Amino acid sequence: MRISERNFYSFVKRHQLVLISAVLAFFSLHLALTDRKEYERGHILKEVLSYTVTPVQEALLGADAQVKGVWSDYVMLVGVNQENAVLRNAVSLLEEENNSLREEILRNERLRSVLEYRDALPFGTTGAAVTGFNLERWMKTIVLNKGLRDGIGKDHAVIAPEGIVGRTLDVHNTASRVLLATDARSNIDVIVQRTRVKGVAEGNGTDALVLKYVRLIDDVQVGDLVVTSGISGIFPKGLVVGEVTKIEKGRDNFFNHVEVRPAVDIGRLEEVLVLSERPLLME
Amino acid sequence: MKEFLLFLPLAIAYMALKSTVLAGFPLPDIPLIIVFYMAHRKAAVDGALCAFALGYLDDAMSGGMLGTSSFSLVVIFLAVHLLSKVVQFTTPAVKGGGVFAASLLKGALAYYILRAAGLDAIFQSGVFLEAAVSGLLAPAVFAVLQKTVDFATPRKFKDNEN
Repeated sequence: MRISERNFYSFVKRHQLVLISAVLAFFSLHLALTDRKEYERGHILKEVLSYTVTPVQEALLGADAQVKGVWSDYVMLVGVNQENAVLRNAVSLLEEENNSLREEILRNERLRSVLEYRDALPFGTTGAAVTGFNLERWMKTIVLNKGLRDGIGKDHAVIAPEGIVGRTLDVHNTASRVLLATDARSNIDVIVQRTRVKGVAEGNGTDALVLKYVRLIDDVQVGDLVVTSGISGIFPKGLVVGEVTKIEKGRDNFFNHVEVRPAVDIGRLEEVLVLSERPLLME
Repeated sequence: MKEFLLFLPLAIAYMALKSTVLAGFPLPDIPLIIVFYMAHRKAAVDGALCAFALGYLDDAMSGGMLGTSSFSLVVIFLAVHLLSKVVQFTTPAVKGGGVFAASLLKGALAYYILRAAGLDAIFQSGVFLEAAVSGLLAPAVFAVLQKTVDFATPRKFKDNEN
């Protein structure tokens, strides 16, 4: 072995941690910068996660309500005498029953409004429950308990009675992930309902949307309703996106900076409707 | 590799809780603290692989852009490893401060990757909150990680000379 080769091997051995870290970092960077293209990445891992983690998420959301009930109805009893404990226990059981009935009534009301909304829609939809929320800083997604098995495909619109929620991003057999309208990767072709001014509603990672390409001369006012234009081929025309809350002159002196408050409160979302087909296919 | 296998279920449990019952709460960044822990103690190649794997898993489970977290965590692993030759991460305050800085770095790296990918993201104050929570709770999480490693490591006794 020549001296230069020996030097090279000894250099690699000495700095293997730095070199391997650098390779992994560049590989990660390559993954991240090409992720927006239509490459299917991490499919097997995501499929495994959909089979393993989604049922756990469903169970955890169910357990959450029970744990809260146990905390308020049982743990607070510690420290009182026996008789009080028995009586309070009986009251708490009744309260718990009452709570669960109230919860059922609320759930029925929610489902009724979703069903009424579904019946009024001119296209086929599938009802799904939200089983997980990932409201990260810039990336905002939710997980649904329905997938390919239920006729859901990639890029299908997800809606609620109040308005649009987002579109399906990854669809697995039994679960699917929805890219929320407020995610930084989301952009939706929209129109201002009152004046028919066109624009693109983009997420920027905050809880609001930014309405882009609205010129200074365009007639847009605070309080205007923004609806889908139907151009993108994902969302049908006329679904509510949100309401204009802020208008400022843009830095370029050509476009306005318009903020839109989404119609759907994601934090309170429990059930959604997924369009069975994409609007272009339906036509 | 043993530490990675020990910490993986912990990270998965954290990610499952973060997306369900604890969604919306300011939580410490457990994968970041695990990477920091592995980097400042005795950094080895499996630590870098662990950083990559935890980041990849985080991205896959949160529906983020694959590679964003893994890039940030690998860079942080390397930075902490190199820094630990100069700085002794011995006291809880230094560890907490280190995790706070690493969390800020992670937020900044994620932001610049999104900008480089052509997304119109704005830098958020939530990054500072998450960094503060991670920094404050890091010493406690370090203690749990250490206990987990100790629990899984068989004790070695010195042979009795008599």
